[in-house]
Amino acid sequence: MATSSETVVTSANDSTADSDYMHYVEGVGHIPRDIYKHVLSDPLGDLPRYSIHIVIQHLLMFITFITLASTGLSLHFGDLFWAPLILAPLGGPDVARVIHRISAGIMIFVAVYHVFTLIIGTYDKLSKKKFDIIRTQIPTLKDWNDLKHDIRYFLGKEKYRPKMGKFMYKQKLHYLAIIWGTFVLVVAGTTLLFPEAMAEFWPNPRFAQDLARLMHADEAIMAASVVVFWHWSNVHLVPGRFPLQWTFLTGRITREHQIEEHFLEYIEDLKNNPEEREYLKSVLKEKGYKTEGGEA
Amino acid sequence: MKHLKGITFISLFVFLLLFLCIVFVSPANAADSENCLMCHKYRFLGRIDEQGRKRNYNVDEYIYNETVHRNVPCRDCHTSIQNLPHDPITEEVNCGNQCHIKPPFAKENFSHKAIIETYNKSVHGSKSTDSEELKAAKPYCKYCHLNPRYTKVDEERVASSTLQRCFNCHEEKGVTQAFKHITHRLRHKTSRSRQEIVELCSKNCHEDADKMRRFGVSNESIESVETYKRSIHGKAVSLGSEMTADCVSCHATSKIHDIYKKDEAASTVNKNNLKRTCQQCHLDVNAKFVQIDVHSGITSNEKPFLHFLEIQLGFVLYGSIFGLLGLALIETIGRKKDGIKWQIKDGTSWRGKSKRGF
Repeated sequence: MATSSETVVTSANDSTADSDYMHYVEGVGHIPRDIYKHVLSDPLGDLPRYSIHIVIQHLLMFITFITLASTGLSLHFGDLFWAPLILAPLGGPDVARVIHRISAGIMIFVAVYHVFTLIIGTYDKLSKKKFDIIRTQIPTLKDWNDLKHDIRYFLGKEKYRPKMGKFMYKQKLHYLAIIWGTFVLVVAGTTLLFPEAMAEFWPNPRFAQDLARLMHADEAIMAASVVVFWHWSNVHLVPGRFPLQWTFLTGRITREHQIEEHFLEYIEDLKNNPEEREYLKSVLKEKGYKTEGGEA
Repeated sequence: MKHLKGITFISLFVFLLLFLCIVFVSPANAADSENCLMCHKYRFLGRIDEQGRKRNYNVDEYIYNETVHRNVPCRDCHTSIQNLPHDPITEEVNCGNQCHIKPPFAKENFSHKAIIETYNKSVHGSKSTDSEELKAAKPYCKYCHLNPRYTKVDEERVASSTLQRCFNCHEEKGVTQAFKHITHRLRHKTSRSRQEIVELCSKNCHEDADKMRRFGVSNESIESVETYKRSIHGKAVSLGSEMTADCVSCHATSKIHDIYKKDEAASTVNKNNLKRTCQQCHLDVNAKFVQIDVHSGITSNEKPFLHFLEIQLGFVLYGSIFGLLGLALIETIGRKKDGIKWQIKDGTSWRGKSKRGF
């Protein structure tokens, strides 16, 4: 079988035959960057993405976030018409604030659980020498370049989407925002919930309390707006993801999505997934690209 | 058919109960030995006074009998009435009068004098140094105790089962009266709800910034209603909380009427008394806790840093929301260009023909 890149491209897209477009994988061949337009996808997900830990964490986060936002924001915007409509079925402000605190407790548990799994997982990977920074949430210069690349692509000035890892720039941005937001909300919330004890803790209790009141509300409004207006529309409403991306429940991602937005992760996965290799080869063959390697 | 017997029995029992309710709800004996109600029972007894206002002189016996004043004869308060039928009344009722009610174990007749003295000393009492306008603006007894049609004691709050136990030793009449008059207020600081207290203090008075400014009160006081409503106390109370501080929770002791400016030593919100005042709810109060601003307004003069931060946070909020929405919009446009549509096919949106030309 041929292995050199010059002999691979046989499709009509000769003009696109640059090194960035074709990605070589041993045992499969040269994979064109936009092959995702031709693959089959099950909306419930084809390829593993999140472990059961992450799915549980997200689900708990989702439930507690909704609860915290609905009780907290309706208390904050108590003078608006919709606030009593939300609070009344919950039992009024006196019950709602207990619900708010319990939810906050669960959310803090999720955060601790997340950090715990993160440390264990990272330690495990490091000890097996499988740690790869491209698969983490750590922001790199590449993410900034990917963002610029992606905007150019969507505006029609770039031919392909960037090759991104397990977490793309949007997810990293969101993840950092969640770390910052959770930190601010927990610290400010603790200051509000235990004013007596926290007054002893902060050097200037008057300032700290005012700051906590300001930051807790502001950060909550920000988090709620970002989740409602951006995260949900971004994940579930944009064309191609509509009506629902099932990943947060199934922990699996569709093949099309994985190749499109997490290409490097897909390539990584191909190495250990012979079935997927065979499937991809059949797609490549069908589209007239050359493949390599015998039947599995 | 056994269960039918049971139902019949229960129905009869309920009917009997309802019947008994009707029988025993008859007007109690009003403190009307002079038979004022002979005339005042008529519902349309009234006139149009010199200012053209309609005055209604009807007294509803059933309602009056449920009020705290039900045992007080009319002329104990309306002292100007000397002969019957009486002349038009020009004199206001004086709440400091002694009435012909003797409290248990007391030698003297009852009077509201003590509370009026407390009140007169407070910031709301008329002072000789006050201007005429200020004197007129200051609340008097009936300003707050407005008694619209003789407000009923909230019977819901009187636990009849608790009262039943008192009857083991006490006579029903006296103890019921004490319970209705006093005990129901002990459960809350006042018989009014927290929302009513806030409304009473703010409406037409403390929330009227122009009025407050004319009387030369501090900036903090002018903004006090606004800052209270923005605080967690105010928000919770406005939504119906029963556990959060209203105005008199902090600004008065259980005497309710002893409200002072905060520089005065007697004031509950004076620096030296704050600890005790906050302790009513915040049990672990410490010296640093009382430094926290309760009526916190963030203005550029008072709290420049927080004011600056508030503005910056606004920019960050709108910046990130519109930035991210812009990104989502660009992505949506790009995806439409790729030929992806919102139509659903096989459980997901559908990839059509790309419009990019490659």
